[in-house]
Amino acid sequence: MLLDPGMDLTLRPMRYPHFFDRYRDAIKNTWTVEEVDLHSDLADLSKLSPAEQHLVSRLVAFFATGDTIVANNLVLNLYQHVNSPEGRLYLSRQLFEEAVHVQFYLNLLDTYVPDEQERFEAFAAVENIPSIARKAEFCFKWIDSIFELRELRSREDRRAFLLNLICFAACIEGLFFYGAFAYVYYLRSRGLLHGLASGTNWVFRDESMHMAFAFDVVDTVRQEEPDLFDAEMEKQVKDMLAEAVECEAQFAADLLEQGVSGMSLADMRSYLEHVADRRLAVLSIEPMYGSKNPFAFMELQDVQELSNFFERRVSAYQVGVTGTVTFDDDF
Amino acid sequence: MTVMRVRKRNGDSETVDVNKIVRAVERWVGDLDEVDPLRVATKTISGLYDGATTAELDKLSIQTAAELIGEEPQYSKLAARLLAAFVDKEVRGQGVASFSQSIRYAHQQGLIGDGTAAFVARNARKLDDAVDADGDLRFEYFGLRTVADRYLLRHPESRLVVETPQYWLLRVACGLSETPAEAIGFYRLMSSLAYLPSSPTLFNSGTRHTQMSSCFLVDSPRDELDSIYERYHQVAKLSKFSGGIGISWTRIRGRGALIRGTNGKSNGIVPFLKTLDAGVAAVNQGGRRKGAACVYLEPWHPDIEEFLELRDNTGEDSRRTHNLNLANWIPDEFMRRVEADAEWSLIDPSDAPELPDLYGDAFDEAYKAAEKKAVKTVKARDLYGRMMRTLAQTGNGWMTFKDASNRLSNQTGAPGNTIHLSNLCTEILEVNSDDETAVCNLGSINLGAHVTADGVDWEKLRETVRTAVVFLDRVIDINFYPSTQAAASNPRWRPVGLGLMGLQDAFFTLRLPFDSEGARELSTRVQEEIFLTALETSAGLAETFGTHPAYQETRAAKGELHPDLWGVEPSQTDRWAALRSRVAATGLRNSLLVAIAPTATIASIAGCYECIEPQVSNLFKRETMSGEFLQINTYLVRELKARGLWTAPIREQIKRAEGSVQGVADVPADVRELFRTAWELPQRALIDLAAARAPYIDQSQSLNLFMSAPTIGKVSSMYLYAWKAGLKTTYYLRSRPATRIQQATVAIAPVATVTDDEALACSLENPESCEACQ
Repeated sequence: MLLDPGMDLTLRPMRYPHFFDRYRDAIKNTWTVEEVDLHSDLADLSKLSPAEQHLVSRLVAFFATGDTIVANNLVLNLYQHVNSPEGRLYLSRQLFEEAVHVQFYLNLLDTYVPDEQERFEAFAAVENIPSIARKAEFCFKWIDSIFELRELRSREDRRAFLLNLICFAACIEGLFFYGAFAYVYYLRSRGLLHGLASGTNWVFRDESMHMAFAFDVVDTVRQEEPDLFDAEMEKQVKDMLAEAVECEAQFAADLLEQGVSGMSLADMRSYLEHVADRRLAVLSIEPMYGSKNPFAFMELQDVQELSNFFERRVSAYQVGVTGTVTFDDDF
Repeated sequence: MTVMRVRKRNGDSETVDVNKIVRAVERWVGDLDEVDPLRVATKTISGLYDGATTAELDKLSIQTAAELIGEEPQYSKLAARLLAAFVDKEVRGQGVASFSQSIRYAHQQGLIGDGTAAFVARNARKLDDAVDADGDLRFEYFGLRTVADRYLLRHPESRLVVETPQYWLLRVACGLSETPAEAIGFYRLMSSLAYLPSSPTLFNSGTRHTQMSSCFLVDSPRDELDSIYERYHQVAKLSKFSGGIGISWTRIRGRGALIRGTNGKSNGIVPFLKTLDAGVAAVNQGGRRKGAACVYLEPWHPDIEEFLELRDNTGEDSRRTHNLNLANWIPDEFMRRVEADAEWSLIDPSDAPELPDLYGDAFDEAYKAAEKKAVKTVKARDLYGRMMRTLAQTGNGWMTFKDASNRLSNQTGAPGNTIHLSNLCTEILEVNSDDETAVCNLGSINLGAHVTADGVDWEKLRETVRTAVVFLDRVIDINFYPSTQAAASNPRWRPVGLGLMGLQDAFFTLRLPFDSEGARELSTRVQEEIFLTALETSAGLAETFGTHPAYQETRAAKGELHPDLWGVEPSQTDRWAALRSRVAATGLRNSLLVAIAPTATIASIAGCYECIEPQVSNLFKRETMSGEFLQINTYLVRELKARGLWTAPIREQIKRAEGSVQGVADVPADVRELFRTAWELPQRALIDLAAARAPYIDQSQSLNLFMSAPTIGKVSSMYLYAWKAGLKTTYYLRSRPATRIQQATVAIAPVATVTDDEALACSLENPESCEACQ
């Protein structure tokens, strides 16, 4: 079984080909930091109102450390216990993607924050900025919760592992990051910070795949060991998500404290609750909030993009095309 | 709920009153019977914060209306009207109350040219009276937003707009007119959105820098350092004034070739293109868009393989050019060898400097003779496969065909005149040389505005063509040429590029599926009408002003018109015969008349589909420098409403399927067939339509091809077919990302309710990411 202790090395016969498919799809979407053009962002930054500047500086401070935390949990906890070589292939790929994200936000901060001292402070946000510190504490608590576990021997061990996995998928990648993306897309819908938006768009694409993989693991375990998923587990997941929503809501209160037109705190909370309900739905748990998404600009993220190439680089191309030259294929 | 307050422009603060917002919105509702002002008002307030300014409130109400477009397309017009009112307020706030005042004010700020300012001052009353008060009601939101953000002139310091959208169009008309009547006629045509000149003309007409041409085709630098650096300088100057640039690099020796002056070996073309890349990125076109260029290379160049890697996103960054577009300039001999699975020689241009100037049999002969000096031999098919991979992975590396481009051109009538490349968008084909940079100014007819359910209004179409050609021709004389090479070419050849947009609108209106016989006939017939009328107009201009100076070097001077080169029999025989005798008697004013440009921006302004393209999706977003905009197929919405099918669940299904209606079972088959997207149409049909209209396009067309999940096999079959069909050029290969962001706002479908059919449709549409399948 997937969570059995050990280091399975056997790729054939492949037990979980869907993990391998995810690995291959991820490779097709390789992007590099050099492709993101930040040059127009600097002009935009000077146009922002003080309230929007505050929002952006907090946001990038969160991004500065967010992906590193996710990468740490991947190495310290997930890789160890997902006992399938094809699953580990995907996690290796995910680790690379997290590294690209870290590099992207590093490059972004170096560009956005020319003053060295301010830059150091941004990277130390986890310690200095209370609203970010609280989110970090939430993450560390869940990293630590299974850090001592070398092997998933008991039913309790497995449930602890699942909670960690669900936490990172549903709460951290699935809520904290989705919260952050909303701010970026809000700015983008106003035509601001294209560099940040196009890089974040690619990050978002990767993150939603990471989340899908994690839920795929959860579903696989559910099929193999259905009895792990009981009412107590459900309650724990709900409590965890509720705590995450509160963490993110206090972050939103900080970001929006000076008033940002088109993004009220009340709307942001509804959005977070809506996202939390969606995470529960994927886990087949009844919604807690019943909130609707109030942000029409998030709906824009769900439809095909069509860029005017004169203006922006199109992010829709494929890497990893296969086949050989022939002249009679259908097209 | 707490009381919310706003700060007024005079500094006072007042309580936000929902009724007041409702009334402000109601003023603009007019004929929009499906919009709900209360909904806009309440949503606006929910996004507001305490202490916001009234300007923020106004902007938010515009944004809020725009966000409802996905449910009801009429909100697009409402948002546009709210925006027009906002712009109007900004202009009037500076004491500008009429068109002539706006010109005078902008002239004082150094924005308007002296000639236009004087023309307007002389004719102030007539021109002021001509402004159509209801003109802005025709705009959709995305179009007007684009206009307001990027086309309207702004005060140099305050950055406030100094003209309204209608003043802007009248200003563009005045910049190109000699009499007020002429200006008013041209203004009315543009204001009706039935025709628009290309962006450089819309940006710059009437201003102090009247660079109004869209395209520049720069010949390859000579194989020496001074010439290369001269080209960088020229490209920068051309780019600064909104031009898009095509430049060949075929004459520059490849990696490893000897440099006699220093007895060293060349590093090839890549380091030079890297410099070009940086130069293009550095030039900001007046803050309105980034510079852009496309580099052309012939496939016998020794560095062709490295060239094809320039846009890869992996590998050494010093050998990557992220801003340059790439195109292959392909002789038929290459394609023949691909087909025959033969060898292909890579030859250094310093060993065969004559090759770039030859085409057809002369090229084939010279190439075969030069093969004994080949630097390297490869299998033609391997190189072709490499080209296909680049296309599939980056969309770039466009396939353009040298022999067809030259053989089927009016400008190659005299020996020594060769087309060396196409332009940034692969629709312009003009001769150039070391000291002549080809120039083209463009404009496009909105076919949708000439069609009703009863068919095409042919007389209206002809009238539009006549006006368009006169004003395109006019640009040549008024234009400011940023380089001496451009100034040397354009007055001699006087080429223009009259294009077409909204073909898909016409097909929807007439209910013709894109791949139907009827669609092909209509598109060909329309193109013949446009080309014939354009030639007639140019013949008329020649009768008045004389032929263009290089006329004797054209094929038309020998009695060969473009359809003759293709060997086709046009449908309107009498008119063609009459035209022939006129041309024989007095010649033509323009060497080239028709080119179908991509029209990305002006189609948005006109609110129609781009050029000759099928729709990309029934529901999609546009991303531009102005932000993101939801676009919905209003023809589909109308159709579904009439059938009572425009419901929330169906909207959800369309969104889930990324704008496809193929999986929506409630929609009848014929409607589904009509509303297929570019991804769902056989690409063969797009190529067939393009080939059928090509005899009536004396330059070329920006033809995008679409493939969701390209494979080398499919792509190589498709481009061979395009070459055999006789196309001169092709443009992007559009594909879709291999994975996509999980949709955040469509409901999560419970796994149990998905039928097998739905799951299949879904996974075909967006592999790996559709939540319904998990």
